[in-house]
Amino acid sequence: MKVALVMVALIGLIVFGLPFSVVGDGSQSGAVQSFMSFGLNATGLLLGLLTIFLSRSVADEFVHRQIFLVMTKPVARWQYVIGKWLGIVMLDGVFLLGSGLTIYGMVHYIKSTHPPIDDRFDEFKLNNEVLVARHALKCTPPDFRVPAKAEFERNLEEGMYDDYTDFNAKDIQRSLTKKYEAQWRVVGPSELRVFEFSNVLCNRSKGSEIQIRYKTDVSAYPPDEVFRAEWQVGDSMKGTPVYRVPVRHVIGRFHSVAVPADAVADDHTLAVYFSNKNPFEGEPQYKSVIEFRKSSEVEVLFVVGSFEGNLLRLLTLIMCKLMFLAAVAILMTAVFSFPVACLASLTVYVLAGTRAFILEAMDTTNDEFAGMFSSLNNFFAQSMLMLYDALHKVIPDFGYYNAIEDFVNGRNVSLVWVLDGMFWLVFVKTSIVLGVAILLFHRREVAEISV
Amino acid sequence: MAQRTLPVVQTAGLCKTFLDFWRRPHVEAVKDLDLEIRPGEVFGLLGPNGSGKTTAIKMLLGLLYPTRGRISVFGKPPTDVSVKARIGFLPEESYLYRFLVAHETLDFYGRLFRLPARVRRERTEHLLDMVGLRHEAKRPLGEYSKGMARRIGLAQALINDPEFLILDEPTSGLDPIGARQIKDVIQELARKGKTILLSSHILSDVEDVSDRVTILYGGRQRAAGEIGSLLSETDVTQISMPAVSAATIEQVAELVRRLERKDIAQVTHPRMRLEDFFLQIVREAHDANIATSGARAGGVMPDFLKKATVSTTDAVVEDLISASTAAPLPEPVAPTVAEPQPEREVLDALMGIDETQSVDGAEDELPPSRLDAVTPAPSDTGSSEYSGSADATVIDELLDSSSAEQKVDPKP
Ligand SMILES: Nc1ncnc2c1ncn2[C@@H]1O[C@H](COP(=O)(O)OP(=O)(O)OP(=O)(O)O)[C@@H](O)[C@H]1O
Ligand SMILES: [Mg+2]
Repeated sequence: MKVALVMVALIGLIVFGLPFSVVGDGSQSGAVQSFMSFGLNATGLLLGLLTIFLSRSVADEFVHRQIFLVMTKPVARWQYVIGKWLGIVMLDGVFLLGSGLTIYGMVHYIKSTHPPIDDRFDEFKLNNEVLVARHALKCTPPDFRVPAKAEFERNLEEGMYDDYTDFNAKDIQRSLTKKYEAQWRVVGPSELRVFEFSNVLCNRSKGSEIQIRYKTDVSAYPPDEVFRAEWQVGDSMKGTPVYRVPVRHVIGRFHSVAVPADAVADDHTLAVYFSNKNPFEGEPQYKSVIEFRKSSEVEVLFVVGSFEGNLLRLLTLIMCKLMFLAAVAILMTAVFSFPVACLASLTVYVLAGTRAFILEAMDTTNDEFAGMFSSLNNFFAQSMLMLYDALHKVIPDFGYYNAIEDFVNGRNVSLVWVLDGMFWLVFVKTSIVLGVAILLFHRREVAEISV
Repeated sequence: MAQRTLPVVQTAGLCKTFLDFWRRPHVEAVKDLDLEIRPGEVFGLLGPNGSGKTTAIKMLLGLLYPTRGRISVFGKPPTDVSVKARIGFLPEESYLYRFLVAHETLDFYGRLFRLPARVRRERTEHLLDMVGLRHEAKRPLGEYSKGMARRIGLAQALINDPEFLILDEPTSGLDPIGARQIKDVIQELARKGKTILLSSHILSDVEDVSDRVTILYGGRQRAAGEIGSLLSETDVTQISMPAVSAATIEQVAELVRRLERKDIAQVTHPRMRLEDFFLQIVREAHDANIATSGARAGGVMPDFLKKATVSTTDAVVEDLISASTAAPLPEPVAPTVAEPQPEREVLDALMGIDETQSVDGAEDELPPSRLDAVTPAPSDTGSSEYSGSADATVIDELLDSSSAEQKVDPKP
């Protein structure tokens, strides 16, 4: 009980105390973003820990033997396990809802205490890029294999590869493909590049907007570190209006421009042109080559839902994780006594949280390790790998279900994502873990003393 | 009694061996135990510390799984959930939630039996009255004294109006009122046809209420049977009567010598039992409304416990029960002629406790604590001592019926 109170106090401190100290980058939207990011991450983490500590009530019932009485009443073992799990989950739910509401309230509080730094962009950014649920689409680059193949065949005809001994058509075509993509990603001075989007299923009625989000890099920075260019959004061939947006933006950061949504064609495609030509008269002309990197692909975003709905879906996703964690914690306490059970649950929690990282590390180190161990300790290495594989089948990747960053950036936490979490985390994995817990608890002698 | 219903508990060759951390046999707590507890009887489980009583009980409740042997409780395995609805259990220590108050505790266990809210409320009130803790019912059990917690433990065991009540050392930690009350409850419930399994070290308690006993030693059964036949000592006769003069005693002794060629071994005044004396003091304090934050004298048995159990008894047994309920408690009427029963030493000897004293009842003086074998005539004052008790202590004075009156002065 004390643990729960301490947790509540901590969450309260973070959620309530933070708004008074956040600055972010000084802007209103920045303050709201860093508050939400920190508040939600802290809430998630603390509730995770709380879940593990709450399972102590089961372990405690063994130590203090209250379970002797409960188990002599007409309560089946499975009912006990499910009941304890539900208890933890419900408490988690209450806390999560509480901190969700607090965060929501605090956002409005920050809005009123942190005035926007410049009255147009900051407020616009907060309302249109943070406190919304936007669907994001990456542009579909053209298929570079087509020109690559054409060039390959042309070269072949011209006899360019005749003197190669270890001739590998696939490798050559691949490098040609890369070349074409690299060419496409840079826009030379005065050049025009088109980015095409499909399935832009946004509301195209009057008054609604779409946003283009992008980041540019340059090979050589101009002295003022600013590029001047123009976006032209719309496809006159498909009969949509074309909106021209001149931009004067800092290089190397994400920016977005908004245009009316009727730039999207009837077949839900959108053409976005980038013209690397200074539209501002009388301003300096730096002929820079501008690059759009693959890691920061151009995106089109449009509003699909409200901030409130998005918050709700985010909390649901967090709740799914907590449900799974509660089941793990119950399983551990059904088998081990408290400190061991706690440690085991924490391990699972950490493994789930860092799974993506571990997998990555294993991928890169695997080859070296395999080489090192193959002769000497093959069996050991193999069994370790198999153990890891098995663990990864059972332990979900919490990182995959982490929607906080998207949420904070005003991106839609999609229903599909939430349903995915519900299905895999709750219906499948939680059920399995609880099933195992019930099975093991059935076999455990309640009055067995382990010292 | 030839054709009976199913025994409430039946075990065959029950064994429990505790394993150590490395799964090696460690302690043989129960060995080859064959128990049969019949419906409607009070069954006493005796034995020194660590003889396996609690272990046996835990196996009956499905808290421990037997290493070998079979158990059936109401004809089903003890892990069967439906069986548990018919059982009440008072464990040897308080295993209650420390943060719940008495009300909540009883309500909680009532819920586990899926009793409707109204029934729970009623029974909680009645049981709190019965165990005398109604006034302290708003305090968390963690604050309770041991005996108070134990009373709640008893109340909790009765919340489902069980057919089969398992009491592990029910009187431990209880004050004499509580202990007496438990005995009353046991007897009352037994008369209603409930079955009771009782483990205790207070042999007089067991003796007072049990029909049959089993004595364990080292996990094995050493003796078993009807308490009457185990204890009756046919070579001693005891006579009780209102106080008579020394001269009369002399003449009686003379008569006995002449007719039977035997000497009277001992003539005493029955003393009031310390239990009775204690109860009297407390009752007076209670009547004088002296403040206490402890347990009060309990009230009456709740009505719901007074219904006779029908389901497990056949017609014959039922008749027997109704016959016994019609009659009041079999109070011995003075003067009484009773078969004296052997002393605690006999039981101790049976249990293997080496506490050698003369067991020759005919020549030995009856220790005061045994006088309740024959209930003393309550108020006979103004008589004198004839034998023994030269070393009269304060307690003797207190218990001497004549001086009892003046010692009682409830403070205003
Ligand atoms: N869970 C356990 N693990 C290991 N040994 C145990 C366990 N429970 C009981 N024992 C051992 O089994 C033996 C019987 O214990 P049990 O509690 O049944 O005795 P008891 O007759 O109830 O004694 P008491 O009169 O002291 O209550 C003891 O030696 C005890 O140490
Ligand atoms: Mg015991």
